[in-house]
Amino acid sequence: MATAARAEQARRFERLERLTQRRYLLLLAPAVLFLVIFYGYPVAAMLLRSFNDPAWGFGNFKPLTAARTPIEILGVSLPMNAYLRVIGITLQIAVGTTIATLLLGYPVAYALASMPMSRANLLMIFVLVPFWTSILVRTYAWMALLGTDGIVNEVLMGLRLIDQPATLLNTRGAVYVGMVHILLPFMILPLYAVMRGIDRNLMRAAENLGARPWQVFRSVFLPLSLPGVAAGCLLVFILALGFYITPSLLGGQRDIMISMLIQQQVVQLKWGFASALALVLLVISLIIYLVFVRVLGVQRIFGGGRR
Amino acid sequence: MGDREFDPIQQAQNRRRHERMVMLRDLDVMSRREVLRRGGRLAAGVSAASLLLRAGFPIVPTMAQGTPAASEIKLPEYGEIPANLKGSGELRVISWGGALQDAQRKAYFEPFQELTGIKVVESEGPDTSKIKAMVDSGNVEIDVAEVGYDGVLLLLKQGDYWNKLDYSLFDTANIDASRRHEFAVDMLPYGTVIGYRTDVFPEGPTGQKDFWDLTKFPGPRTTESGTGGVLPFLEGALIADGVAKDGLYPLDIDRAFNSLSKIKSDVVKFWDAGAQPAQMLNDKEVVMGHSWSGRVYAIEAAGAPVKTVWNEGMLSTDVWASPKGSNAENANKFMAFTLLPVSQARLCSLIPYGFVNNAAAKLLPAERVAMLPTAPEYKDQMFDTNVQWWADNTPAVTDRWNEWILE
Amino acid sequence: MTAKQSERAAHADRIGALGARVRFDQVEKQYPGGAANAVDGVSLDIAPGEFVTLLGPSGSGKTTTLMMLAGFETPTAGEIWVDDQAIAAVPPWRRNIGMVFQNYALFPHMTVGENIAFPLKLRGMPRDEVTRRTREALDLVGLPGYEGRYPRQLSGGQQQRIALARALVFNPRVLLMDEPLGALDKQLRERLQLEIKALHDQLGVTIIYVTHDQQEALVMSDRIAVMNLGQIEQIGGPGELYDEPASRFVASFIGESNFLDGRVTGFDDGLGVIEAPGVGMLRAPAHGGCAINSEVALTVRPEKIVFADELNGASANTIDAEIVTVIFVGEMHRYEARLGGGQTIVLKRQHRSGVGRCGRGDRVRLGWHVADGRLV
Ligand SMILES: Nc1ncnc2c1ncn2[C@@H]1O[C@H](COP(=O)(O)OP(=O)(O)OP(=O)(O)O)[C@@H](O)[C@H]1O
Ligand SMILES: [Mg+2]
Repeated sequence: MATAARAEQARRFERLERLTQRRYLLLLAPAVLFLVIFYGYPVAAMLLRSFNDPAWGFGNFKPLTAARTPIEILGVSLPMNAYLRVIGITLQIAVGTTIATLLLGYPVAYALASMPMSRANLLMIFVLVPFWTSILVRTYAWMALLGTDGIVNEVLMGLRLIDQPATLLNTRGAVYVGMVHILLPFMILPLYAVMRGIDRNLMRAAENLGARPWQVFRSVFLPLSLPGVAAGCLLVFILALGFYITPSLLGGQRDIMISMLIQQQVVQLKWGFASALALVLLVISLIIYLVFVRVLGVQRIFGGGRR
Repeated sequence: MGDREFDPIQQAQNRRRHERMVMLRDLDVMSRREVLRRGGRLAAGVSAASLLLRAGFPIVPTMAQGTPAASEIKLPEYGEIPANLKGSGELRVISWGGALQDAQRKAYFEPFQELTGIKVVESEGPDTSKIKAMVDSGNVEIDVAEVGYDGVLLLLKQGDYWNKLDYSLFDTANIDASRRHEFAVDMLPYGTVIGYRTDVFPEGPTGQKDFWDLTKFPGPRTTESGTGGVLPFLEGALIADGVAKDGLYPLDIDRAFNSLSKIKSDVVKFWDAGAQPAQMLNDKEVVMGHSWSGRVYAIEAAGAPVKTVWNEGMLSTDVWASPKGSNAENANKFMAFTLLPVSQARLCSLIPYGFVNNAAAKLLPAERVAMLPTAPEYKDQMFDTNVQWWADNTPAVTDRWNEWILE
Repeated sequence: MTAKQSERAAHADRIGALGARVRFDQVEKQYPGGAANAVDGVSLDIAPGEFVTLLGPSGSGKTTTLMMLAGFETPTAGEIWVDDQAIAAVPPWRRNIGMVFQNYALFPHMTVGENIAFPLKLRGMPRDEVTRRTREALDLVGLPGYEGRYPRQLSGGQQQRIALARALVFNPRVLLMDEPLGALDKQLRERLQLEIKALHDQLGVTIIYVTHDQQEALVMSDRIAVMNLGQIEQIGGPGELYDEPASRFVASFIGESNFLDGRVTGFDDGLGVIEAPGVGMLRAPAHGGCAINSEVALTVRPEKIVFADELNGASANTIDAEIVTVIFVGEMHRYEARLGGGQTIVLKRQHRSGVGRCGRGDRVRLGWHVADGRLV
């Protein structure tokens, strides 16, 4: 009889448990619904479009596989066309931008995280100010700075480092400068958040155990900041993949990114092909994401480190 | 693309496009030109320039500076208007909003209502797919729309979507036959011209051959891109290569790209936003560039040492068209009214687009006429774009462009 | 193994076996922006192998004192010596002082084994030696075979032991422990207190231990330094502090105490006579600090107060009181009694049966041997 009662109790407990869980799911429902309606459906429709517009099949992916201008690598002729090359350029720019923002952002985040909270909060404003200015304005500011008669050239010439204006604008370098400037906060913020969360006592413990400052950094701080590095890189990389205005305004002839081609096709109402290109971009983003998750573990990226 | 299906997603996109247009309403009218290039077929997407303008950033002095404030302008007044234009009821017109529609209101809508007794009801953001949906559902809410001519051609391929125009109501004496189509009439010409720095070239280029002459006119250039919602200026490339400007179409795409290749290394930027060439000319990033006419004029008026070469420039234009099932009578009266010389001159006084009725030139001060793409003195120098050819060949040109630019 | 490495290892062994002498000489620390000194003229001489506890309320400067020894804070005045070396100029990573942090500060990205091996690898020890020593350290703290776990997979007590193993594995001359048991439950805390004490006896390392739990301090320490407001109020063995508190603060901080305020009226045969208002004339051993007419407090521990009929021959103080509360606390009864002047005193009596001797409202006569009182 006692066992029956206990079993009954266990059942009741389980039911309660399930109910609680279901209630949590209910809390998620509005967000999920919102995403499904306003994000899931359009994306699915877009992806579908790449297979059925104007006709069912893989027609929209044909231009991607056409060997228009094959290139030779180590004696092997690889099929190549504008679309593949633009994907290559896009990846190149995104990787370069990510590395540059990491190299620039890491020391900044480190300095901010080492400061007293009050000062860090104050200085954080300088990191965030660019957030409050539109991308366009910032890009245009770079156009003014990097132009033939721009401030950079004027200073360089004033210092007699060069005697005629250097071509700074409309180059790959200008694209990097503009994109790094815009994306830097997206690197610094996750880095800073993770670094702030690192217990300073761990640093002291390491020192106490005999580690010199750089050893402390290498064997304790750096590994503990990796989740921030991963989150920042992922964020910057995926944002960079979709960049459009900055490369279009600051870049040279060949600095074409895939989103520019997508826009080109959308404007010409070739939506099927545009969707196919968008699908490629999405797949690249997903692959990169999965690689990050694989290598670093998703909970390390989004869980803010193991503590 | 003529037999494309119309589907919900595209309509949602169109709606969004419309919203964007509404957002742009208070911005420089030329922002609209970027998304309207060559007869409106590229009216979609967010072009970089429209964003630049949305951000409120003063890329270059805006058109407004090239045009005196509306209150100071003395507009030509109507005398007696033809009796057959008078009527009753209402006329529902849709245009692109912004400074353009403001000008149209002053130049056309208000006097039309006053003088004909027909009430004008305005809306913004014309869209051929929306018009198709209206006609299909039999619920036509628009009598006259400002659209690209290719949009008209596109819908004509699909069926009976437009009213034939009744030119008997029109004063066609001074409207070129090439501007009068069966189902539409040109109404807003603008030019693609060469702008150059007068401080670099006191003796400037006189046409496309000079634009391509890197020894006589050395220096960085800019011309239209094939991405970002614009199309390369193949006509200019062909003229430079020796093709006569009245024998351009059908364009020889290969020859045009070969010609473009000759200046490719000197083109520091292929622009995709109307603001860019003017800005680059203004900042002396380039010594000459292909640009939309109003843009060059704007920086010239603001004091930049630049000048416009109208010779071998290209004229493009929007059209009025009236959807099937609308109030055709009032629509024809309205279109005829806006093409009256006085109406045309009034609009040209407010905003530097060209006129379709050549008699308008006589009603405008000479210096105003000189800044318009349709001034009589440029008439023989310029040529009209062929909307039909571009409608049929844009995908091929774009595909070719993408390979060419990466070569 | 290079000659240098083996020499280093041998040296570590040698000094670890001994434990170092630690001396604080008039050490002060003022934090930038801090109004008062966080540590204010601390002098302390700790013998090799001694177990000294810094005991004091929150904010009394205990952690700051440890941090200065470990090298994470610099004294604003004074000098700290380890053996015969002034360590002001020695960076923390060369001080060879082990430390157990309050929250253990185990490296979350390293396994237990890696955590413990960390200081050994930094010292250039060969790999098999590192493995061996790591294993030994784990054995020492009673967690053999835990090398492969991550800190987050351990209980609080286990983490504490790993932190201890890591702090000891490189044979430091001195071991600092900042409230190492603060986060543990009472039972575990008591067990680990004994374990740490046993380890100390086994290794002979000098330990400076920080706590604000007086019970813990009494159980573990050779000597206790009671800190208050950045200063050491008194230092001495547990019994000494308990029986002979030098100040009211110490008396109240260590154990429970009664305080009877009064004025010294005279001396009688080495005893001070004080007049406590509403209580009467009381006597207690005099010491240099009290002069005629000075305001003092007579302190007496609750367990030293008895019912008057329990007093034996030795000279005693007696007072009349009224019982206010009686609580049976397990091993004894705790009474609170109100005196004539309105103050309350506490006494604790052990009775053979669980029944109290008197109840609430009873008028009783209490007393204590004169030698059990102390003027502070
Ligand atoms: N980094 C610091 N900056 C400024 N003041 C500090 C700092 N650290 C400690 N203090 C101050 O110094 C005094 C002593 O602090 P300390 O941490 O040494 O106290 P503690 O005895 O360890 O206290 P607890 O038992 O709460 O740990 C306190 O008043 C504290 O506010
Ligand atoms: Mg402390």
